[in-house]
Amino acid sequence: MSPRRTSAIVAHELRLLTRDPLPIMILVVFPLILMGFLKPMVALALAAHGHAGANGAEQVVPGEAVANGFYIVGMTSFAFFSEYGWNTWDRLRASQATSAEIMTGKALPFLAVSATQFLVIFAIGVPLFHLRSRGPLTTLVPLVAAFATCLVLLGVMITALSHTIQQASALAFGGLVLFGALGGALVPLEVLPRWARAIAPATPTYWVMRGFRSVILDGHSYPAIVLPCCVLVAMSLIFAAVSLTRFRFTDTKVTF
Amino acid sequence: MLEVRGLSKAYGPRQALDAVDLEVAEGEITALLGRNGAGKTTLVSIVAGLRSADSGRVVIGGIDAFAEPRRARARLGLAPQDTGVYPTLSCRDNLRLFMGMAGLGRRQARGAIDELADTLGLGELLDRRAKELSGGERRRLHTAIALVGRPALVLLDEPTVGADVQTRARLLRVVRNLAHDGAAVVYSTHYFPEVVELDASVAILEHGRLLARGSITEVIAEHSVGAVDLVFEGPAPDLARLAPTGTVTTSGSRVRIDTNDPSAVTASILAGLDSHAANLRGLTVSQPSLETAFLQLTQDLTETRIEEQINVA
Repeated sequence: MSPRRTSAIVAHELRLLTRDPLPIMILVVFPLILMGFLKPMVALALAAHGHAGANGAEQVVPGEAVANGFYIVGMTSFAFFSEYGWNTWDRLRASQATSAEIMTGKALPFLAVSATQFLVIFAIGVPLFHLRSRGPLTTLVPLVAAFATCLVLLGVMITALSHTIQQASALAFGGLVLFGALGGALVPLEVLPRWARAIAPATPTYWVMRGFRSVILDGHSYPAIVLPCCVLVAMSLIFAAVSLTRFRFTDTKVTF
Repeated sequence: MLEVRGLSKAYGPRQALDAVDLEVAEGEITALLGRNGAGKTTLVSIVAGLRSADSGRVVIGGIDAFAEPRRARARLGLAPQDTGVYPTLSCRDNLRLFMGMAGLGRRQARGAIDELADTLGLGELLDRRAKELSGGERRRLHTAIALVGRPALVLLDEPTVGADVQTRARLLRVVRNLAHDGAAVVYSTHYFPEVVELDASVAILEHGRLLARGSITEVIAEHSVGAVDLVFEGPAPDLARLAPTGTVTTSGSRVRIDTNDPSAVTASILAGLDSHAANLRGLTVSQPSLETAFLQLTQDLTETRIEEQINVA
């Protein structure tokens, strides 16, 4: 892989993102609005389940960041579909860039956006929603990195599996709602029905929220996030494997 | 610079390319002619590495494009049929991406962008977003991207479709200059006057087969016949003696004389019509041309195929 070519695609993708900043703003604005709505209710739920001193921010700040972080899945997928819609996909393929450079160059910026989203939301969450973590917040860095990788690769996998932008949109939106709700991001896991709690570990949301809560609510440190990180990395590898086997560079995809 | 040998490609039962051989030398412009669906875009796509071939070989600048696709792609520039630019980005940013992919550093890219913009008349548009450009301007940007990194082989798939007169003239000038500077250009088009204006060599494709290859003069001489058509009031006279070099077909009041020299035949007939001249109501002289050669070739093949299908049935 050529660093120069890859960085040219990364820079290009970042330029595309900054020329249309609304989706990035939504990644931050939506969670902040929802946090304001949900915090009092979540505080009651946490208190009812043994976290008497919690103010609700311990759940809503990471939870809303995670739930809305799923927009990255759609954004990643749309970044690929846009190339088909603009007839630029063939131009990229006819360039000197390899498939790996194109994929990496297009995906990396979304990894950065996803990680930045968490950073910004936590940075705002501390003063605005009085988020107090019992464990060191720096412990969360590997967890955020693993989750962001998982989201971006899920977006690439959805692109690989979808023939039309409508399919990709439906899968990305479905993932947002389903994974957000099932994994304990929208509301604490304890208030979900038993069947939902049983299948929650199948979602990346469950594992990232488990890591967040073990640090923020329970005051644990790095050992507590090893398992969540490993599971998220394993899920990322599965998404990457499916993407590698199903992504056909020669396929034509249907956009609007 | 480009060597295509025995290239074949089928899409299901349809043979898109059938053992096509083609060579394009440095400094040569080759016009790829053919109807829609003749195989032009498939040929260009395979050469550019966008599609795989069922069989055959493509060599670009001595490099086997199937064995070393990335090295081969480093030598070519492609402007696909559909305009492909990033609408939300400026012209400069559109070009910047492909400069980076061609391995140019920031400083080199800046100079190259200005040079390309100057060549294609995009200088004042560089900081305008592509979506704000007119159709012709966008087409020029589309072509400029293909020329990033001064490729030795340039593939232009119907570059002037939808372009206005000025854009077309500028694009043709750019193509001529490319060839003058030593690039090999494959120029797919439906516009015959452009081929003549470019003084391109010609490759005619039909149903995936290469039917003719050579200079315009060679293709016309080999495949085009001129004609003189006359219409009379009442039954047409016998004109065979006046056109010894042509083939005369009479049908009612109409006479058609197929000939390689329609001007001489016309002069001979007009001089010898005598009393029939008063009944002459119409005269059409068709000179041998690239267009008639193309029609002759493609029509012949289509008729042959229809006959083959009937025989099979």
